[in-house]
Amino acid sequence: MNSFQLLNGLTFAALLFVVASGFTLVFGLLRIVNLSHGALYLLGGYIGYSTATMTGSFGLGMLAAMLGVAAVGLVLDQGLLRFVRGQELRQVLLSLGVALVLNDVALVIWGGDSFTVPTPELLFGAVPVLDTFYPKYRLFVLGMGVLVFVLLWLLLNHTRLGALIRAGVDDPEMVEASGVNIRRVFVLTFLLGCALAGLGGVMGGAFLALYPSADAEILVFSLAVVVIGGRGSLVGAAIGAVMVGLLNTMGQVWFPELAYFVIFGPMAALLAFRPLGLLGRAV
Amino acid sequence: MLQVEDIQAYYGEAHIVQGASLTVNAGEVVALLGRNGMGKTTLIRAIMGMAPPQLRSGRVRWQGQDLVGLKPHEIAARRIAIVPQGRRLFPSLTVVEHLTMVKSARATEGWTVERVFGLFPRLAERKGHRGNQLSGGERQMLAIGRALMLDPELILMDEPSEGLAPAMVQRVEEIVLDLKRTGLAILMVEQNLYSALTTADRIYVLETGRMVMETTGAAANADEAPLRRHLGI
Repeated sequence: MNSFQLLNGLTFAALLFVVASGFTLVFGLLRIVNLSHGALYLLGGYIGYSTATMTGSFGLGMLAAMLGVAAVGLVLDQGLLRFVRGQELRQVLLSLGVALVLNDVALVIWGGDSFTVPTPELLFGAVPVLDTFYPKYRLFVLGMGVLVFVLLWLLLNHTRLGALIRAGVDDPEMVEASGVNIRRVFVLTFLLGCALAGLGGVMGGAFLALYPSADAEILVFSLAVVVIGGRGSLVGAAIGAVMVGLLNTMGQVWFPELAYFVIFGPMAALLAFRPLGLLGRAV
Repeated sequence: MLQVEDIQAYYGEAHIVQGASLTVNAGEVVALLGRNGMGKTTLIRAIMGMAPPQLRSGRVRWQGQDLVGLKPHEIAARRIAIVPQGRRLFPSLTVVEHLTMVKSARATEGWTVERVFGLFPRLAERKGHRGNQLSGGERQMLAIGRALMLDPELILMDEPSEGLAPAMVQRVEEIVLDLKRTGLAILMVEQNLYSALTTADRIYVLETGRMVMETTGAAANADEAPLRRHLGI
């Protein structure tokens, strides 16, 4: 694998991390396997595309996507998920249904064409990295991945809300019995997870393109990341993202017809020895 | 202050608490005794609003207000705290975070991190450790400290001496009496008859979901025989 391919793997990993970090937070704390996470990613991409095209600002596109998808998340949580609280199977089925509806709504609004979110001029072109030239935008994605990791790490480990989220993963009932309205923590975490999916949509929409069914692809990768890393674990999601990102690139380069197997084969092997993922804990 | 009136509590179809009543007055230590599986923990969970159990009838009155139907955090906000069975510390949180999750580190009113560390100097030495890296005694201290951060008027303690070395059991008894001196009321589930006899002002015995005996600590200390008969020891 040359350094260009290595960087491809790492930048894809950065995107996966942004998407999967939201997924794992929601999975870990709320115990919801949110199968609409991919649809929220795609929706965020479309919102970012429209906003960036209209305003000419990529930054505004990211902001609009995060806020817009968080708003959809609020409706989803308060309007639908609240009726199936604690019923894991129903939550999963409901989120799958929501994914289908969101995709069709997106198809009505944006059509079936493929879009690419316009990037700012500053990020046009390539710069020399290691022994190759590499697109600036993809380096920006790598930087964003690292930034999101650092910010989430600080939030989780150095704020009271972060302590409540971690405690909620351990034992939500005891958090409630300590005087904290855990529902509020749940909603905030869910909105944060949705906003991260939206952010990922814009980041990915600028180099992977947006099209119907792009959501399913990113969802499958995110699931692999979370399953490998262990649910609810931020560091696990980072490790999982790097593994999946690199494996995906290697698979495409060396065994193009087996690209999926190269990811899911090792994942299955890992689960045989660590059923809860690398950093997952039984709750 | 707390009146539990004719509580009927179920786990699914299992009728665990069958019409139990009890009273805790301000500043009083009340022990709830009974063998395993008699419904003691279920009763404590019911008071705290934890589900399961499901309450089908009965009232839990606290300072004149009915608590039934309130969520645990709403009950905690009314200054009832719990030290649950098994302590239930958070493996992901440090000692300090167990305290500051309840009340901000900046708070100066009532119980603060400093005050808890003053009561349990051992915890101050361990403040960066996580919940699962503490010894049994330290865990119990932290579980009590976490409850105190709510500035409670009543603490529900579920088997505070369970799994502790004898010296630590004695230490917990001293803590209970110290807290009582600050005006706190404590409702304590106990398996350890001697801990109950040492600390309790009044004692209830629960048997298959019903109160079968009520006595004072003084009377029980004077004659242990009736208590022993009910407890089968």
